[in-house]
Amino acid sequence: MNRNLLIILAALVLIALAATLPFFLKAFYIRVGLSIFLSAGFAVCWWMLAGFTAYYSFGHTAFVGVGAFAAALALRGVADAGLVLQLTVALIAGLGVAGGIAAAIAWPILRLRGHYFTIAMLAVALVLGEAVSAFPVFGGSAGLSLPNLAPMSVRVEAFFYWLALGLLALVMAIAWAISRSRLGYGLAAIREDEDAAQMLGVPTTRFKAIAFVLSGGLTGALGAVYALNLGYITTDSVFRGSLSLEMIVNSLVGGMGSLLGPVIGAAVMTAVTKLLLADLLEYHLAITGVLIVAVVLVAPDGIAGLWRRRTRR
Amino acid sequence: MTTLLQTLINGLLYGGILSIAAVGFSLIFGVMNVINLTHGIFVVGGAYGALIAWSVLGIDPLLSIPPLMLIAFAVGWILQRAVIQPAVERGNPVAALLVTFGFTLVALNLLTVFFSSSVRSISPSYSFINLRLGEVSFDLVRLIAFGCGLALIAILGSFMRFSRWGRIIRATALSELGARLCGVDARGVYAVTFAVGSAFAAASGVLIGMMLPFTPAEEVTWTVYAFIVVTLGGVGSLGGAMLGGVLLGLVSALTQTYLGGVFTNMVMFLILLGTLLLRPNGILGSAFKASR
Repeated sequence: MNRNLLIILAALVLIALAATLPFFLKAFYIRVGLSIFLSAGFAVCWWMLAGFTAYYSFGHTAFVGVGAFAAALALRGVADAGLVLQLTVALIAGLGVAGGIAAAIAWPILRLRGHYFTIAMLAVALVLGEAVSAFPVFGGSAGLSLPNLAPMSVRVEAFFYWLALGLLALVMAIAWAISRSRLGYGLAAIREDEDAAQMLGVPTTRFKAIAFVLSGGLTGALGAVYALNLGYITTDSVFRGSLSLEMIVNSLVGGMGSLLGPVIGAAVMTAVTKLLLADLLEYHLAITGVLIVAVVLVAPDGIAGLWRRRTRR
Repeated sequence: MTTLLQTLINGLLYGGILSIAAVGFSLIFGVMNVINLTHGIFVVGGAYGALIAWSVLGIDPLLSIPPLMLIAFAVGWILQRAVIQPAVERGNPVAALLVTFGFTLVALNLLTVFFSSSVRSISPSYSFINLRLGEVSFDLVRLIAFGCGLALIAILGSFMRFSRWGRIIRATALSELGARLCGVDARGVYAVTFAVGSAFAAASGVLIGMMLPFTPAEEVTWTVYAFIVVTLGGVGSLGGAMLGGVLLGLVSALTQTYLGGVFTNMVMFLILLGTLLLRPNGILGSAFKASR
């Protein structure tokens, strides 16, 4: 119990420290921090399903896109409302619609295992992306624009920095709570051996569905923030295969073994691509590729895994 | 009636190309159980190889297929030995998938730097000839590509069925442990399988390059199409890849004619999803690699 309290205190101190950073940093670095929080948030959401149950989704960008478009359309309905209300509506629309879609497809799609689940999620993302660009409600190829919700008195990048930080903290708190709960142990049992878990009385279908809906819904809420930050979305910018891949890559680079893995991975990968490779734009992809291969071969349990291996010795 | 006939013929020809573009992917997925994201890069790489052979050396694209297959075989072999096999042995199901993604990023970057991201095409002298049979017209290039695709599939089929190496590969796919107990070098088999898969991907790329314009970024499309074809037809069987390709080609042509171009991809992806949910092993899927 004491240990849990310590973790919560440490987390609160870290969040408070991170929240003060925008007062000292230049706008560019605030934006780097913002993209670290967003991609860490996405990675944690993805990890909520994959890390607990080993169901590797290849199409989480579906939820990002659904959340983004749901928020954009919902904001049309409350165009004249106050900023707080608008923000709440956007977040709830993202969370609700993405979570609803996840709930609708959970039962059929979670019957598939291994590579088949992976490919089916890819198909879901592709279908939704094509559907959004095919129907004019979603702006077609022109896309939709979103209002700027940052209050006048606050710098735009700092506002979204805090928003993303808050959501990341929320998502991590949920994931952490799951890992200490009955649900978390059930999900871990599913990861190790689904048939055995079922035989021992773990309600595998229900547990998997809960993890899937939470993961999808929270991704949708983050997708709403992602869209608000972009200010303008098209199918290509939010239904993007590379978004799905980033979640996977960040989680694996950081380490699948713990909740901190996805966050570390997102921080390292974003910092490397935004800061170190900023001048090497032409070879950016190649260096990222080499980095991914190197991490998989040299540090199979990710950066967090490397550290744990050292301390264990 | 003529429209329908023309659509069906277009779909059939396109389907043949989809089939040949998927056999390499199917082989690697079926034998190694690895989702090979480099597939599209080998396809596009084949197209660019043929472009160099045609525009710089003046070699007809069809004649450049054998040497390009050899090169792709060598690259695939080295890639599998150096990077993919170590990742497979890590035991993590996505480790192998991730390294193929990493290699794809590197190759895509290099292709873009060398060839720029602009659209290229290969048009040998016979590429604009159009044959007519009554009311129905055929592009000669598509017909040639279809024929070459069938010939390549036949070659791969007889290699797998009748050659010693084909037998060894099939045995390893059925049971790695059993094959190793009989003295088979399983790692060597995987290297050859991956190399053969890559060679056929490159060959299909040459045929595609003759028919359609291409860019480096097109690789995603071909990887995804290979996914769909293989899942629809059934993993690891050549007949499955052919059936899946032809069905998909027909569906794509029919949607394009009767529903409009915006919906072709959506219908194709819906079919992929439907197949996965209703019959994950695909239409002709073999039972030995079940859906887990």
